[in-house]
Amino acid sequence: MPTSRSTVPPTPKSIASYVKKNARHVKKAQKQQHQSSKSVREADYKGHHIVVRTHYEIEVDGRVVMGHLGVSNDGQVHYHPVPNLSFASAVDMVKQLIEIFPDDFGSKAHRMHRKKHSARDRHKHL
Amino acid sequence: MAITRPNLLTDAVARQKYADGVNLLKREFTGPTTKSLGIPGPSRPVSTYDLFVVWHHTAMTTLTPPTQGDRNAAHRGPVFCPWHRFMLRQLELNLQRVLNDNAFGLPYWDWAADGQKTTSQQKKSPIWASDAMGGSGNPVKTGPFRLNSADPQSFRIRIEADVDGKLVQRRHGLRRAIGTTVSTLPNKADTTAVLTLTPYDVSPWDTTSSGFRNRVEGWASPGTPALHNRVHVWVGGDMLPSSSPNDPVFYMNHCNVDRIWEAWLTKYGRRYVPAQSAPTFLKGHRINDQMSSLLSAPMKPADVLDMKSIYVYDSLSV
Repeated sequence: MPTSRSTVPPTPKSIASYVKKNARHVKKAQKQQHQSSKSVREADYKGHHIVVRTHYEIEVDGRVVMGHLGVSNDGQVHYHPVPNLSFASAVDMVKQLIEIFPDDFGSKAHRMHRKKHSARDRHKHL
Repeated sequence: MAITRPNLLTDAVARQKYADGVNLLKREFTGPTTKSLGIPGPSRPVSTYDLFVVWHHTAMTTLTPPTQGDRNAAHRGPVFCPWHRFMLRQLELNLQRVLNDNAFGLPYWDWAADGQKTTSQQKKSPIWASDAMGGSGNPVKTGPFRLNSADPQSFRIRIEADVDGKLVQRRHGLRRAIGTTVSTLPNKADTTAVLTLTPYDVSPWDTTSSGFRNRVEGWASPGTPALHNRVHVWVGGDMLPSSSPNDPVFYMNHCNVDRIWEAWLTKYGRRYVPAQSAPTFLKGHRINDQMSSLLSAPMKPADVLDMKSIYVYDSLSV
């Protein structure tokens, strides 16, 4: 049977109160940063215990990508900020991240400008 | 008396009320701020609608247990169906409140019916009309959630997940890229097939499991999103990151997933696994474990297995 919690009408006051109480979970999630992603897969086979540890470090244009990448037992990689997709390849996954998060990687014009400036800076130092 | 959740496309009144209610919740501020939630940038009030975005993202980034990298507090494991039922019900209660209508039932989008159409017809389904959810675009320029940059009250995305998996403040119109990443929706063959699957879930209780939950969530075909996942990917844009409740279509998708689960529960009995006696590595997914909550008291999967006295669907033909 459903509990009364399924029927209790919320109020602005109850929402504020519960959010205040649960804010620590949001803050904790906000602090999760991964310079690198480690994934541990374990399986048992014919009495043997298998452990596979995988380690990923991802950069795009020198920017470290810090979300958590996981590997499931079928070898597919997934990325927690993109909950509905998995990929056969981490490179394919990062290509999709560039599509999904356009605000985090800048426009092509912005990248060209940055590239041009960094090339000019390198030239100055020669 | 139980309320009825209708088909979005056959109930114009529910469709309009849903859009009105979403826009009212988007403009309601009960006290929480970006600062109080640890979201960087200037401290700004967070609307009730956006609190659901925060809740979904937080549940999704909470690994259950933290020692593994697959299951989280709302996805990729048994709790997927009950947690989203809990979330939908909380949204429905809040919509009833701001609409002042206790008989309002959340409408669902029968996406498998649209999946029966040709690829080009799917993109032109009535759900994407101006009097429904509006169309595709960056930003969406039609319908009740279109951007009117001259109107500060216009529907805008204010909080979303960034590529590092953190919530950040943004200010842009709703984005959709319908039919871009995948070209077709799931169809009736997919939904019929998922209803033949038992048990509800099975070891290893993750995205490689056989059983109903993993298939309806959409992980059964490696590399090819199916059912629920495929709908997110097909709509694209703001439906892709962990902040996907930013698109009001999120709830129409999940209401249909809930309807499919209800059809399964009706067919096979109101069963759920894993039991509470299951090992602690399944904590967060067992029948009497507390589910992640933000705006209300927490609930357990056991609390939501039988909702017939609260709501029913106008049809369980999926």
